[in-house]
Amino acid sequence: MKFIAVIRQVPDNEAKLRIEGGQVNYEGATLILDQMDEWGVEEVIRLKEQHGGEAVIVALGPERFEEAIRTALAMGADRGVHLVTDTPLDPITQAQALADTIRDEAPTLVFTGGQQSDWDSQALGAAIAEALGWPVVTWTTSLELEGEGASAKAKHDLDEGAEVVRVNLPAVFTTQQGLNEPRYPTLPGIMKAKKKEIRKVPIAFEGKVEVLEQTIQERQRLGKVIDGTKDPVAAANELVRLLHEEAKVI
Amino acid sequence: MILVVLEHDGTRLRKGALEALTRARQLNAIAGSVAGVLIGENLAAVAEEAKRYVNALYLAEVGPYTAEKWAAAAYAAQQKAGAQVVVATGGRQGRSWTPRLAFKMGAALLEDTLETSTDGSKVIATRYSFLNRVTEKQAAALPVVFTAKPNTTPLAEPLGSEGSVETLSVELPAQQVEVLERVVEQKKGVSLAEATVVVTGGRGLGSPEAFGKVEELADLLGGAVGATRAVVDAGWRPYGEQVGQTGKVVQPGAYIALAVSGAVQHQAGMNKSKYIVAVNKDAEAPIFKIADYGVVGDVHQVLPALIEAAKKLKD
Ligand SMILES: Cc1cc2nc3c(=O)[nH]c(=O)nc-3n(C[C@H](O)[C@H](O)[C@H](O)COP(=O)(O)OP(=O)(O)OC[C@H]3O[C@@H](n4cnc5c(N)ncnc54)[C@H](O)[C@@H]3O)c2cc1C
Ligand SMILES: Nc1ncnc2c1ncn2[C@@H]1O[C@H](COP(=O)(O)O)[C@@H](O)[C@H]1O
Repeated sequence: MKFIAVIRQVPDNEAKLRIEGGQVNYEGATLILDQMDEWGVEEVIRLKEQHGGEAVIVALGPERFEEAIRTALAMGADRGVHLVTDTPLDPITQAQALADTIRDEAPTLVFTGGQQSDWDSQALGAAIAEALGWPVVTWTTSLELEGEGASAKAKHDLDEGAEVVRVNLPAVFTTQQGLNEPRYPTLPGIMKAKKKEIRKVPIAFEGKVEVLEQTIQERQRLGKVIDGTKDPVAAANELVRLLHEEAKVI
Repeated sequence: MILVVLEHDGTRLRKGALEALTRARQLNAIAGSVAGVLIGENLAAVAEEAKRYVNALYLAEVGPYTAEKWAAAAYAAQQKAGAQVVVATGGRQGRSWTPRLAFKMGAALLEDTLETSTDGSKVIATRYSFLNRVTEKQAAALPVVFTAKPNTTPLAEPLGSEGSVETLSVELPAQQVEVLERVVEQKKGVSLAEATVVVTGGRGLGSPEAFGKVEELADLLGGAVGATRAVVDAGWRPYGEQVGQTGKVVQPGAYIALAVSGAVQHQAGMNKSKYIVAVNKDAEAPIFKIADYGVVGDVHQVLPALIEAAKKLKD
């Protein structure tokens, strides 16, 4: 069996974002494997450990994405395929570009992150599924293969509540918190990852979405902080007074 | 024509559908008439209401929800209407099937938009990105599919006349997904998404029992209880109460964070609240950087005092 995780490299959320010339500036930012994609990487490694076969990492992005692929390989995935382009592409176009590679790999299933932490997009998994004519299960919190990989039983979140489904494979799954606890790359894992194969495929696609401007519109916060360490009751009274009289929200 | 996929609960249009209709009408430089499609089962009752809002109404009786069926039905309606723009409601469900529709149409997809406008040939949208921290403006040439983020848009009023009604025949894809069990969250009181006050407890409360006081304060203020992931992972509170990147996104008038550190993933679900209030014993906690009002102190002392003060206010 073959299990694919589609991953992306994104700026570290903990770091400060800088805007320059109306765009988020990636220079000098710490770039990491998207945390919601980590759940997908962990899941394909676990599936391979349980059922045998291969855990393959697929990524679409500029040359620097190789670092994120190496992280996934260091966690334990077997090899990578990197579709290389410097043009940032919207998720629908990405799905178009990824479809041939994934179809040729003929996997049992594909995982990708539930939401991208840079573009806040939830579209990639569903768009890949459509490109391949496969079903999709979004916000997956648990997964079990059935009948030698003919189908899978999965639990996933809805807007209000959750659902257990049986889905024919191959299918695309997107990740959600609760799916697993991603392992950390070990030192031997990192050494081994350096020698693992990453196949590079240059691609040329035009995007459908143009980003005109990015801004950080932080609301000016009042920052009125009261010391409640000595007299908590007085502090609480003052807070309630401010919320009632000044902010008028209670 | 512009097509709106009208969300409904089986008897009524949902609020999100009325917001999506407003968005469609705002694009009258692309097309002056608006078509709607109802997807699901037993649509006759909702159709009575829906036809008052559109020039043409399509009914797609396809049974219970799957992303594949919804995309196929919306695509059939889009083809029939010759629509260059399709509008749907955001949220997990809307954002699960609209990518499939965009792909079928060869259209651009604009997700969870706050505002949309047009110059006649492009749709221009604003939306949040980078875990809700960045506001970005995007543009895409027609055809375009977009989702409208819930609670961003005034509700549409009915038109003066009733639209035509037509039943669609939809070529359904082979069924690939079988629903074995559905657990719908039953929540008492105000829903998190709609609440004007949210009182969220974090790991610093120390125990599930301490949430009794969080509930008491939320009740007094007519609000809803929220939770951090740390608290949900510990099993203290249900997942349905989680606020953040992998939970719910809320935007109340007042967001009161009690013993919450304010991690970016948590902020992604609440940073657009009108007023942010924090109680934390650590003056350096990140939550204070985005707070309007705060108290540095022990939550076990401050929270009971807040409850007393709120009670006095009520009397
Ligand atoms: C991919 C991903 C997605 C995530 N999604 C979410 C999400 O959707 N929602 C979410 O919440 N988190 C999410 N997280 C987790 C997030 O990073 C934090 O770990 C989490 O929000 C911390 O919860 P907390 O503030 O309750 O706990 P902590 O960070 O442990 O903070 C507890 C706070 O309580 C204070 N405190 C302790 N005792 C007291 C006392 N007696 N009185 C007053 N204050 C006290 C401490 O000073 C501290 O600031 C996600 C993480 C990842 C990697
Ligand atoms: N937030 C985003 N959502 C979708 N696509 C994006 C986003 N940011 C950048 N892109 C892609 O980036 C291209 C232009 O980006 P830029 O070169 O940064 O102006 C567009 O054609 C999009 O395909």
